[in-house]
Order: sequence, then C-alpha cells, then structure tokens
Amino acid sequence: MAEVHVIGQIVGATGFSESSLFCKWGVHTGAAWKLLSGVREGQTQVDTPQIGDMAYWSHPIDLHFATKGLQGWPRLHFQVWSQDSFGRCQLAGYGFCHVPSSPGTHQLDCPTWRPLGSWQEQLARAFVGGGPQLLHGDAIYSGADRYRLHTAAGGTVHLDLGLLLRHFDRYGVEC
Amino acid sequence: MDSKEEKVKIITEEFVENDEDADVGRKKKTSKTQRQKGKKQLCTAGPEEMVSGKPHGGSQQGPAQEDPDPDTHLLSIPAQRGPRSLPPLPSASRTGFAEFSMRERMREKLKAARSKAESALLQEIPTPRPRRLRSPGEKELETEFGAEPGKETKRTAQDNDSQSYSRVKFRDCVRKVKSKPPPPPGFPSAEEAYNFFTFTFDPEPEELEEKPKAKSRERANQEEAEGEEEEPPVQGDEEELLNGRNEEDFLLGLDHGAEDFLVMRPAYYESVHVQLQKERELLFIPSRLTVPTSKKLPENMQPRFLEDEGLYIGTRPKVPRATQNIMENRLLVQEPDRRWFGDDGRILALPNPIRPSPSRPPALTQEQDIHAELETLYKKAVRYVQRTQHMIGSGDFPENFQLDIDISGLIFTHHPCFSREHVLAAKLAQLYDQYLARSQRNKAQFLTDKLQALRNAVQMGLDPEKSHSSVDITPKAINEYKSEIRETRKLRDAEQETDRTLLKTIIKVWKEMKSLREFQRFTNTPLKLVLRKEKVDQKADEEAYETEIQTEISELLEEHSEEYEQKMEEYRTEYQQWKAWKKAQRAKKKKKKQAAEEHHDEEAEEPPPGDGPVKPIPPEPIRQAVLEQEVRERVARSRRRPGEPMLVPELSLAGNVTPNDQCPRVEVLRREDVKRRSVYLKVIFNDKEVSRTEGRPLGADFRVHFGQIFSLQIVNWPESLMLQVYETVGHSGTTLLAEVFLPIPETTVVTGRAPIEEVEFSSNQHVALDHEGVGSGVPLSFEADGSNQLILMTSGKVSHSVAWAVGENGTPLIPPLSQQNTGFRSALKRADAISSIGTSGLTDMKKLATWAAESKLDPNDPSNAPLMQLISVATSGKSYVPEFFRLEQLQREFDFVSDEELNRAKRFRLLCLRSQEVPEFRNYKPIPAYDREIMDKVFQDYEKRLRDRNVIETKDHIDSHRAVVAKYLQQVRESVLNRFLVAKHHFLLTDLVIEEEVPNISILGLSLFKLAEQKRPLRPRRKGRKKVTAQNLSDGDIKLLVNIIRAYDIPVRRPTTSKFQQPSRSSRTFRERHAASPTTHSPTHSADYPLGQVLVRPFVEVSFQRTICHTTTAEGPNPSWNEELELPFRAPNGDYSTTSLQSVKDDVFINIFDEVLFDVLEDDRERGSGIHTRIERHWLGCVKIPFSTIYCQARIDGTFKIDIPPVLLGYSKERSVLAERGFEPVRSLSEGSYITLFVTIEPQLVPGESVREKFDSQEDEKLLQATEKFQAECAFKFPNRQCLTTVIDISGKTVFVTRYLKPLNPPQELLNAYPNNPQATAELVARYVSLIPFLPDAVSFAGVCDLWSTSDQFLDLLAGDEEEHAVLLCNYFLSLGKKAWLVMGNAIPEGPTAYVLTREQSHYLIWNPCSGHFYGQFDTFCPLKSVGCLIGPDNIWFNIQRYDSPLRINFDVTKPKLWKSFFSRSLPYPGLSSVQPEELVYQRTDKAAAAELQDRIEKILKEKVMDWRPRHLTRWNRYCTSTLRHFLPLLESSRGEEVEEDHRAELLKQLGDYRFSGFPLHMPYSELKPLIEAVYSTGVHNIDVPNVEFALAVYIHPYPKNVLSVWIYVASLIRNR
Repeated sequence: MAEVHVIGQIVGATGFSESSLFCKWGVHTGAAWKLLSGVREGQTQVDTPQIGDMAYWSHPIDLHFATKGLQGWPRLHFQVWSQDSFGRCQLAGYGFCHVPSSPGTHQLDCPTWRPLGSWQEQLARAFVGGGPQLLHGDAIYSGADRYRLHTAAGGTVHLDLGLLLRHFDRYGVEC
Repeated sequence: MDSKEEKVKIITEEFVENDEDADVGRKKKTSKTQRQKGKKQLCTAGPEEMVSGKPHGGSQQGPAQEDPDPDTHLLSIPAQRGPRSLPPLPSASRTGFAEFSMRERMREKLKAARSKAESALLQEIPTPRPRRLRSPGEKELETEFGAEPGKETKRTAQDNDSQSYSRVKFRDCVRKVKSKPPPPPGFPSAEEAYNFFTFTFDPEPEELEEKPKAKSRERANQEEAEGEEEEPPVQGDEEELLNGRNEEDFLLGLDHGAEDFLVMRPAYYESVHVQLQKERELLFIPSRLTVPTSKKLPENMQPRFLEDEGLYIGTRPKVPRATQNIMENRLLVQEPDRRWFGDDGRILALPNPIRPSPSRPPALTQEQDIHAELETLYKKAVRYVQRTQHMIGSGDFPENFQLDIDISGLIFTHHPCFSREHVLAAKLAQLYDQYLARSQRNKAQFLTDKLQALRNAVQMGLDPEKSHSSVDITPKAINEYKSEIRETRKLRDAEQETDRTLLKTIIKVWKEMKSLREFQRFTNTPLKLVLRKEKVDQKADEEAYETEIQTEISELLEEHSEEYEQKMEEYRTEYQQWKAWKKAQRAKKKKKKQAAEEHHDEEAEEPPPGDGPVKPIPPEPIRQAVLEQEVRERVARSRRRPGEPMLVPELSLAGNVTPNDQCPRVEVLRREDVKRRSVYLKVIFNDKEVSRTEGRPLGADFRVHFGQIFSLQIVNWPESLMLQVYETVGHSGTTLLAEVFLPIPETTVVTGRAPIEEVEFSSNQHVALDHEGVGSGVPLSFEADGSNQLILMTSGKVSHSVAWAVGENGTPLIPPLSQQNTGFRSALKRADAISSIGTSGLTDMKKLATWAAESKLDPNDPSNAPLMQLISVATSGKSYVPEFFRLEQLQREFDFVSDEELNRAKRFRLLCLRSQEVPEFRNYKPIPAYDREIMDKVFQDYEKRLRDRNVIETKDHIDSHRAVVAKYLQQVRESVLNRFLVAKHHFLLTDLVIEEEVPNISILGLSLFKLAEQKRPLRPRRKGRKKVTAQNLSDGDIKLLVNIIRAYDIPVRRPTTSKFQQPSRSSRTFRERHAASPTTHSPTHSADYPLGQVLVRPFVEVSFQRTICHTTTAEGPNPSWNEELELPFRAPNGDYSTTSLQSVKDDVFINIFDEVLFDVLEDDRERGSGIHTRIERHWLGCVKIPFSTIYCQARIDGTFKIDIPPVLLGYSKERSVLAERGFEPVRSLSEGSYITLFVTIEPQLVPGESVREKFDSQEDEKLLQATEKFQAECAFKFPNRQCLTTVIDISGKTVFVTRYLKPLNPPQELLNAYPNNPQATAELVARYVSLIPFLPDAVSFAGVCDLWSTSDQFLDLLAGDEEEHAVLLCNYFLSLGKKAWLVMGNAIPEGPTAYVLTREQSHYLIWNPCSGHFYGQFDTFCPLKSVGCLIGPDNIWFNIQRYDSPLRINFDVTKPKLWKSFFSRSLPYPGLSSVQPEELVYQRTDKAAAAELQDRIEKILKEKVMDWRPRHLTRWNRYCTSTLRHFLPLLESSRGEEVEEDHRAELLKQLGDYRFSGFPLHMPYSELKPLIEAVYSTGVHNIDVPNVEFALAVYIHPYPKNVLSVWIYVASLIRNR
C-alpha cells in the first residue's frame, strides 16, 4: 500500500523540426497501481516559440498513486504534435519514459520518434503535411515488437518531475 | 604399455586358433618380461654386478653374445648418443657433416663387412662353446623367420616389419664380423659402451621405447638409412628377444625336427558356457529390472514431479515398462552424465516446451504483414476540431450503431378469408410440422435405445460372471438403474402414444379435408397428403413385440413383487400394532368392567370402538395375468401392431387448385376478396415508427413475401422493437392486425450470423364475411349440425431476423453496454458475463461446471484453458474475463498487499471518492495521513446511500408512491449529473483566458469623458459589487442580508367578543387599552375601541438555517422597520463550490408576528406600583424565499405578498376602514398583506452558469437554425428579456418548446364541480395544479440545466418547477377552451419564470401556476414584473415593445409591431407534433391511504411539537383537536375563503373558556420535512405559559392522481381564569 506522488511539469520540447508544438500525454501503469487522484492524461497548449527553438508548455502533472506492487511502474507517454500555419495538426513524435523510481526531483529528457512510412508517404508528408500515425497508441509504451517499424527521430520532451514515495520501506523497498 | 598389452591380449585372442602363433606370442611375451626383469636387475645391480652376474639368471647372455653388441653400439653411439639423450633433437636437420661422412664410411665398411662376413660364414667352424653351438640354431631360426615373413608381420603388426628382419640378419653378420676385430684404440670398449648405454637409459625404459618408435614411424619414409642406427634400443630388444628364444630353444632341446613345427591338436571347441562367458565379457546386456530413481538422478536430489506441482504435462507416448527399463539401464551405462533423465527420474519422452534459443521471425520488409499493433495509418493533416460541443447522450461514442432487421415474410395461420378448406389445411400443415419436428427428434427411438442400454447394464450387474469389467456396479447402482428403467419406460410409452395419436390426427384431418373437397366440389389448397407404407418383416417384428412385452411384464412383476414385499412388511408391523392395541383394549375393557361394577356412572365415558387403529387388510398379491392384460392393452394403444406397416405421411403441395370458373360464386367472391387484400409491416423502434415495408398482396396461399432488410441507425440501446402488421383491403383504410414484439438481439449476433426466426402473432379482431371466408373471431363448425364449434382468430407467423450490423472494419456496430445504463433501465440491464466472452449459446454454466468436474478434465491442459476459464468465471460469479494472455503473470507473487487490503484502505478510498466528486466527499478537504485516523463512520452515509439505491424506503416518505417517485427522481438526477460531469470539465477559451479588449476610439473617448465627470454626482448610480468566486470561502464568510423595509395591510387585532371579556378581567382591561380597531365585520364592538389605539404591533422574524433574527416591534397595520438583519450562511459540508451552493435547499422564512402584551398582574392593588406583563407573539404570516433563488438572482428587491393563513383568529383586515377613508384605493383592490424586502448575499457570489452545451435533438436542422437565429436577434434587441425557443426534455434532448403545449384534459372530477361556472372551474384547475409540489430544477439538477418534463411525466413525478406547472395549467386552459399562452418573464421572487396568460372576454388574466392565484393585467401586486415572450401551441412571440411590465404592454399578439413571431410567412408553422400524451389518465387517489397518511402525519407532528418543547409539558386538548379536525374539510371545500366568521363563531361557542391562538396551514404534500418546517416556523410551540394546551389537526384532501392537499391546524390554548 505504498504511495507515490508524481508532481511536476512537462517543461517543453526541443529539437523538433516543426514549430508550434503541443503535446498529448498520458500515464500508463500496471494493474497493481491505483490512481487516487489527479488526471491520467491531458493535452498541453500549442506553443509557438518566439525566441529559440524550445517550445515551453509548463504543463502541470500531479498524480497520486497507490500501489500494491512494483510491477508496472508508471510511465509517461507523449505524442508531440505540431500545428501548421493553417491550423492543421500532424504528428511530430511519440515517446515514453518511466517515472523515476527514486524520490526527489528529476529532470528527464524523453526522446521521441515517429513512424517513417513508405516513400510516398514521406513525400506526401513533406509537401502536404500529415503523416503515418500508429493505429494503436499503446504501442508507444508497450513492449510489442517494434522492430518492424521504420522510424525517424523526433525531438526531445523535457520533464521536471518531483517524486514522493511513501511506505515503500514498509515492504522492503529501500529508496 | 597397458594399452599395448591390452591390444596384444585382444590380438592373442583373435588368433587363438593358431596355437603355434599363440605359443610364439606367449614366448615372446615371457621373453619380454624376462628381459625387463633383466634390465631391472641390470639397473639395480650396477655395472660391476652386471659384469660379475653374467653367468647366472634365466636369461643369461653369453660373453660372446655380449661382445658383439658393444661393437654395434660402438659404431652408432658416438653419432647417436648426443641427439638421443637430448630428447627433442630432430636428427634429420641436424645431421652434421661428420655424421654424414661417417655414415658414408659406415656404408662402405658395411659393404666390405658383408662380403667378408659371407666368406667368413662359409669358412666358420663350429666351436664347442655354447655360443658357437647356438649360432646354427640361430641361423635356422633366422631362416624360419625369413620363411614366414607374412606371419611375422601379422604377429607384430605394429612392429617394424621385414626391415627389422633384414636388419636382424644384417646384425648377425655384423656381429660375426665385428666380434673378431678388437676395438680400435680411442673408442670405448664394448663393456664400457654397454655400461654407459644401460646406465644412461635404463631409468626410463618406457619413454625410450615409445619415443623412438613414434619417431621412427615419422621418419620411416625419409630416413630409411638412418633408421637402422636410430633404433638401437629396439634393436637391442629384438636381439634380446631373439636371444631369449634361442636360449629357450636351446634349453628345451636341441633337435629341431618336423614335430617341432607341427602340433596335433583336437578340433577347437569352446563350450557354450565359455562362449557365454566370453560374450559376457564382450557384450553388454542391459537388465530389465527397474532402475532405482536415485541412480537416475544426481546425488542428493529428490525427484521432482511437475504434475504434482500443478503444471501441465502432456501424455507420454506409450512404451512398455520393460522397454523403458532396458533403455534406462543402457543409458545409465552408456551415458553416465544422466542427461537423458528428467527431474522426475524418468526418461525424457516429451518435447521440451521451452525453446533453448530465442527465436524471432526475420525482419520483414515494410509492406507485408505488419503487426496489427504497429500498423500505421497515413493521416492527413486536419484542422483541429474544437470539441466544445459535447453531445449529450452520445457520450464518447459519436458513431452511429446499426441494427439490421430482415423481414423475410409472413404466413397466416388463420385469416378471415380462409375458406373451410384453408382452415383444415392450416391445421394439417401445423400437424405435419409437428410431426416432422417430432420425427426429427425421434424421442421414442432414443428412449427405446436408452431403455435397452439400461436393461443390458442391469443384466450385467446381476450376473457376476459377466461383470468382470465393471466391478463397480454395486447393488445400489442396480437399483438406480431399475428406477431409471421405470422412468424411461413411462416416458417412452408417453412418447410413443403421442406419436401415434399425432399420426392418427393427421390422417383424420386429411380425411376431413378430402370429404370437404368432395362435398364442395372444388379445391382451394394444393395440399396433398400421401401415406407411404413401409413394409416390415412380420415375423421379426412380432418377435420383437413379444419380447418387449415379456420383458416389460417381467420387470413389472419384479417391481410389483417388491412393492408387495414392502406392503407385506408394513402390513405385518401394522398388524402387530393392531394386535397389541387390541390386547390392551381388551385388558382395559376388563378393567373397566371391574371399575364399572364399582362406579356405574363412568360407563358412559368409554371410548368409542372406532378410535383405535383399524384392523389392517393384507395386501393383495399381484397376478401375472392381470398384469399382462394391462401391459398388452397399453401397448396396443400406444404402439404399432406387429406386422402393421409403418405409415409415413408426406405432405406435398402437388395438388391442383380448382380454377375460378369452376367454382361456385361464393368461392369466387372469396378469392377476389383475398386478391384485394394486401399486407404491410411497420417497424416500430422504441415506440416510434421508423420504417415500413411495401404493401404486398396477399397470395392465395396466404403467404406474403417481403424480403426487405431495414437498417436502423440508432444511437441508444434499443428498448423495444416491434412490428405492426397492417392489412389493407382494396382502396379502403388499413387495419392494424397485430403487433409483434421482436427480441433485441444479443450483442454477439451480427449480420450474417443471425438465423431466420419465426414469431407468431394473433389478433383479436372479429370479422365476419359474406362469402366463403370463415371470418375471424366468429364461431365456425365443420359438422353439419353446427355442433362442435370453434372460434378462430387471425393469426400468423412473421419470419425475420434481427442482428447488429458489422462496420467497415469488421467491428459490430453495437452500442456499448455502458450506454444501456441510462435512466431507470440501469438496474435492469447488466453486462452479461457470458455474452462478453462471446458464447451466447451456453446458458447453464452450473451444468457445464458439474460436467467438467465429473469428466475430470485436466485443468492444466492448455486445450481446456478457455473452457476452464469460462467455468471458473461462471461459478465464481466474476464478471470480468480476460481472454488475453497476461503479461504480469507473476504479479501476485510480488505484491506487497492483497487487493482486498488495498481496497480496504480507508485513506485511499477517501482520496478516490474525493477525486471522483462523489457528493458526500466532494470538497472534503483534509484527509488524514493515516488510516487509523479515519473514522469508519465517514463512509456510513455513502454506503447507506449505495445500499438503499434500489431499496425503496417508505419511512421518510410515508406514502409509497411518493417514495417511488423520490427514488426515481434521485436516479434521474444521478444519471443526468453523471452525464454533465464530463461536460463541466470542458472549458472555452474565454473561461481560461481573459483578453483585454484592444482599446478603440470609442472607449478612449468614454474614458476621456470620465475625466470630466462629477466627483460626487447628485444621483449616484449603484456600483456593482465585486463578485467572489466560491472556491476560497469558508464557513462564516458568507452572510445573508435581509433588509426589511416596510409592510402594508397587516391584519389587525379584532376585539374580543363579550364572551371573552367576561371571564377575565385582566385581559379585558388590557384589551381595552391596546386592542384592535373597530371593523366593519363587527360593528357592534366598534364603539368599544376608540380610534388611534394600537391595532397591531408587528415585528418580523427571519429564520434561515435555524438561525433566527428579528426586528424591533413597530406599530400599526402599515409598519415601517427599515432594518437590516444579518444571518450567517453555512454551506453543506463546507463546500462552497458553485454546484453545491446551487443545490442548497434551505428556505429563508420571513415570519411576521404580532407582539401581544398580557398583563399578568394577579393583584389589582399592585397595578399602581408595577407593571407585570408577559409578551406573547402571534404569528400572522410568512414569506418564504428559497435560498437558491437568492443565489441565482444575487439580490431580491421588491414587495411580496405575505402568505397569511386563511383563518387568523382574533385578527382581521382593516381594508374597509381604509376604503372608507378613501386612502390608496389601488391598494384596497388587493386582498393580501405585503412586505417590502431587500435580500442579498454578502459578499456577492458568482451564480452558477447553466451548461452551455448543445444537446442532440430530433428536431429538424432547419428549425434549429431558425431558433438560433431568432434567439440571437432577440438577444441583440433586448438582451434582458427572456426568449425561449428550445428546451431540454428529461432525456436530455433538445425539443422545440411549442411541442409542450397541447390541450389536455383536466380531471373530470374538477370539471364536474362547477359545471356552470367556467371561472370557478378555472380557479379549481389552477388550484389543482398548484397543489403539485414545487421542486426547482436548479436544486434537483444542481448547476446543470433546466429540464422540462411533459405533463404526464410531471404528474407521475408529482414534482416540478414553474415551467412544468405552467405548461400543465396552460394545457388545461387550452382544453377548457380558453385562449392561453405561456408567459416567460421575470417575477418576484422567483426570477425568470413561467406564468400563464389567459384571455377572458375582454381582459387578460395572469396566473401564477405555482400558487394558483390569478391577477388582472393591471394588478399592481402581480408578481410578474416583466414579460419576455409568449408561447402558444403553435408559435412563439417575442416582446418587442418598449416596456416589458405587464401593466404597460399590449398582449395582442396579432400585431407584428409589438410581438415578433417565430413562425411567420417566411417560415410557416410546419405542424410540429406534440410531445405530450394524447390524453392524461387520472387514477382516483385511494381515500383510505390518504386517511392513513393523515393520521401518521398528525402523529409525527405531535411528536415533533413535543420534541421542540423539551422542558415543558405538552398537553393536547382533544376536544379542540376534534373541533379543528371537523373544521378543516370546510376550509378545503371553500379553498380557505369566507369561512372565517362561521369558524370563529363556532370556536367561540365551543371553547369559550380558552384564549385561543392558532391557524390552519395549507400546503401541497410532497414529503414530511416541509410540513414540519412550516409548523416549526409558526412558532406555536414557543409558548411557555404553564397551563398552555395545544391542538393539532391534520386533514388531507385527495385529488386525482395522488395530488394531496394538506391542511394542518395548529393552535395553542390558554385557559382563561
């Protein structure tokens, strides 16, 4: 019955070729985990950086989990989207990272990728936008055989997370 | 050396037949060993001994023999020794020149020596020395050797072959040559060389021997020449060997004859025993004995049986035990590392399920076969759809779902146009269908077989010899079998009988039909029955028949005899009992007789003889003949007789129908009638017609084929699905024949898989036709005399299939199960666990489970896994079945705690509930950090609510109907709330971002103007207060401010009558000084009270949330207080969120009291010196303002009518006085008293906004657009006026508002009350409507929206807000023939509300639907203050006049300049259907229930009053109570008017001695709490005069439809002294 607080923010993203980014995020946990309060998923605003190329979202994350086991430690998954000048959205990257398991504050960088698609699709993406997307979003974080995918690297999502653990020592987990 | 020896051994055995060879071998062997011994001796003895010990020992070497040796060595040693002693030196590469030359020299010498030796051999003379003697022998031997070189090679396969032989020869020569010349000077002597040689080499003879050999082999080819010198040790060996042999030969005998070479031996024979022995040595035969497990396992290992551990192990291949043992034994010997044995000590026989190496399919190219999960889809860049429009109802499932209804056809099994023949044909067809079905099932055969099997089993069980295989057939089992046989036999007999009767009936009907056809001389139907006879073998049949009967008889006999035995047993015991009893009787009698002699009178009491047990009758034994008779009879009845052919009926449609021209007229008429008829079906989905089939003509065979498929696009889970069968006759109208309800398919049934099903229908219409048609519902007889009538109803079958459609991607378009759980269906529809797995066919899981248990399925077998899972789910009752492979299989092993414990954690539960915003825990702020700090009772309320959700509790609600309604309301509320919960979390941009408007020129200009503004204007404008958002408030922050300004027309005290005056002096004197003014009602007393005296001393008391504040006391009927009262406000649960505040149900009670001073001085003498008075307060009336109104309005400002009870004893209105004075004539028109108030909340709270979501609608899209446009236009012109076009109905759909208005019948009872007075009827109707309890939507749907229910829903719920009341009243008025409209506007105190406007002959009346009052258009005190729009049944008019006060506007809606109508010429009224029901049905309310309720309320209220007076004794005056109870019905009948005088008079008459203060309260009944509140607010209980008595009476007048009008008369009485 240990508890985990995940408090922090999705700071922003760098390294994407597109500007005007926003991010859909979610938390995936194993069966042993129970969300006591907070929102599991969300979407940030669209940020168009004026200076530099880092898109700042500063999107708060505040989750409170109870868990009865270590399996399925929570992981954050992201979909970074970009909005073009016509207001159309297209995928810029998928990524996931585990929530750190030691208490304290952590600065995380989550690299992202996006499916490449066939050359026709790449061409289409270059000219008219859009692009291949995963049909099943859980492939982002699940251990399915991703080796079949051809991907291109996206940018990096930056996170600031604070971890508070409670009662883990009671079950022999030192942290 | 060992291996060599072994080899040698084997070889010896191989060549064992060759004795000589063996001998030689042995000799060689022995010589070798001897030689070795010798060598050893040499090495140990040292050189001196060597020399001295020459003559002794078995292997003596002669000195001469020794001499030549050193010579040979002499030659080789200098060259050889070096490399030899240093082991790894390869000589070939290092052969120096010296060596080479020396070799050359040697060769030359050798040549020379050879020639010399030859000559020497010839010349040699044998010497007497043994050495000399030996030499010829040796020579011979040498020849012998030479003669058989093959043998030699064979024998020493590994030795150097002929070379050695030639060498030996050569050596001999050399020896001979060398022996002669003395050693040359400078060379070591032979002895020295020998010593040196032996000394250096002997310690490692083995090495010596092997190395050179290996080397020699290596170099065999290259260095043939060198080879000779290279192998001196071997050479030496050979020599020694030869020497040994020579010596032996020499010892054995010197003569070498033929017999020396030939040996006579017996034929070689080896005994079997020996052979076996040898074989045993050679062969390995594994034993057949079982190997102990310990041998098969590594040491110290216990065998491990995986199966015991619960793992699944497949079945091992069948191998005989012996074979297995042999294999094991062999493996143990052959492969000692035991890798063939598993953990359980058995041979591995099954493939290892674990793959040793990870396998992964080859990386594929992109195109082919991408994993489903990783499929990518190219999506176009699309504009982000702003999802602000949350569709209610559709939730997260925006797509439509589809239900395919396939209607293939219709068959009439009866129709009015059936001719008699048709009737018979239908019957025949039905019977034949039945027959087919039965014969397909063939139950009789099955049962017969079963019977046979059972009999066999019993037979087996009875014969112990036969039952060898089935040992477990116990007598018990046999008994069971027997009883089963009995059962089966009965069943079979019944089956056979029905089969036979069926066949008989078929034949009978067919015969009837044939006779009918003959009789009428035409045929209508093509039906034809053919009976096919199947011949049977008579003899066999008879035999079978007879045996069957015999077995049956024997069984029966057995059965009966058993029974007989049993009965006999019973009989015996009974008989014994009887006998005993008899004896006892006799004894008794005897005693009695004796006694009788003594006491004669007791004789009469002798028990009648019939009392005791009757003498039992012995059971009759059964007779076989009777039994046989019975059996035969039965068999004859139910079975085919033996030899009788089997009859198989066959129905065909091969017959001819007589053409029309050959038929009689009536028949032709019938046929024409049939032709004129056509049938179509309507598909009714959720009580709405969605489509209909084409009309198809009725065929002559009364079959209609449709073959149409209807795809219904649906959004919600279907509630009902119905087909209506319509029949059209010619061009006249259609009639509804019948309604067929179709079952809604299960979620697993999808298109393509659904079977065609037939649903029967029948109608109850009565049709009599004038032609051959038999009609329907008309008696009909086939007999000539008209007897045996039967009545046939139109009936038929619809064949159809209903299934869910399958979408493009193969997913069935089925609404999700969660969607079913809306509204009141939630409790009914539960997700079906089994259907979620996908097996719809399995129904009885219990049976399946027992079957699985009985058949001993291996639960671990993978092939059984789904079944096991299913069973475990079904038996455990869990609803969630994962069909998937669980990745975290071992999760449980690593869990910290169990699930239960996690769920038990109170803290987590509390946190979860809080975050889910469960009402009880919403805004529950501090949650303790530890479980132990959380009280269990925190959850009590919540759990109780959950538990009670489906339990209707009548305790709080007294009458059951209302309890049900309350529950229903609760459920509706919950479902609506849940739907809105999501919607509430949607934000618009404006909610989040405040964008300052960019200042434009006008704003700039205005702000410039402001500079020039006056600092302190003469007429200051009210500035808006700052609004406070509710979140950061806490208790005590919010105050309710009530500003009481003044009141008008307060009732004044009436003078007491003479009766009052007389008994009490003190009160009289008091009254004389203070009491009320003269009134017209009691002119006799007017003189007693001079003008200018205090008429009344009113003060106002405001109570809110049980906090009470009151003003100072003012004087006179028109007091002015102008006081501000401050009341604290406390939100429920300390939750100050908007929704919570909106749902505060508390009311603000503003009560007006009269303060009366009573002089309580007992003694007149003290009057001069002191004042001793008691203050009493008399309730005059109240104003009730719900908090929600205040909250929504932010402030309430205005004059309100005081709700004064119809009877206020001791008070009266002074209107006539004012009228006489001509003072304010306008006010005198009004009848009530009024109070001016200003109520607000400090600080001002932001009122909750209604949800601005769009709801889905079934309205026409155009209409919806028009409403939006209309509303926008109106809002643009008059933003403050309410304009309403669409409303939300109770299921959350947008509905055009005029659909709610439709004439609806009021209860007949009300109409009958005043048949001639329409005005009175209207008032009565209004009163009826007002009696329906008021429940504001804002309270029930906190922060959600305004829902409109239709009138029938409203009447069912018996609760609603202004709109529902207004709609119902308006509908009643419309049905009464009035012109009526709904008025949407603002009123006091309700705020935005709905009133009803009616047009009388010349004027308009405005009705308040909630109070039942009506006002003229120009009534100043009309609470309606502004009019936004009027709504009629067919149009909406928006007020575009300059003013909106009803006083100043014109209600003539025909003037387009004053009223903007919604439907106009450009948009004509499309004729919208109403959502209201056709007619309202009223049930009479149960009077008894009302009476009971009345009693209960009275009892509860009395208890409450006593509770409120904890420190005083509460006495009830029964007499007064009964008087009051008597009086209340009068009040109801007169609706509280014009009874005051009579009542007063009566009361005075009856209660003359009491000072009486009390009043009747009138309320609509909803629940008990408001009644209690109302009684409490009057403060009657507050009197603490010691001798006070109370009276309380309750009267409930039932109106139709459970509308109850409650009267409570509460009074306090003080006895006058």
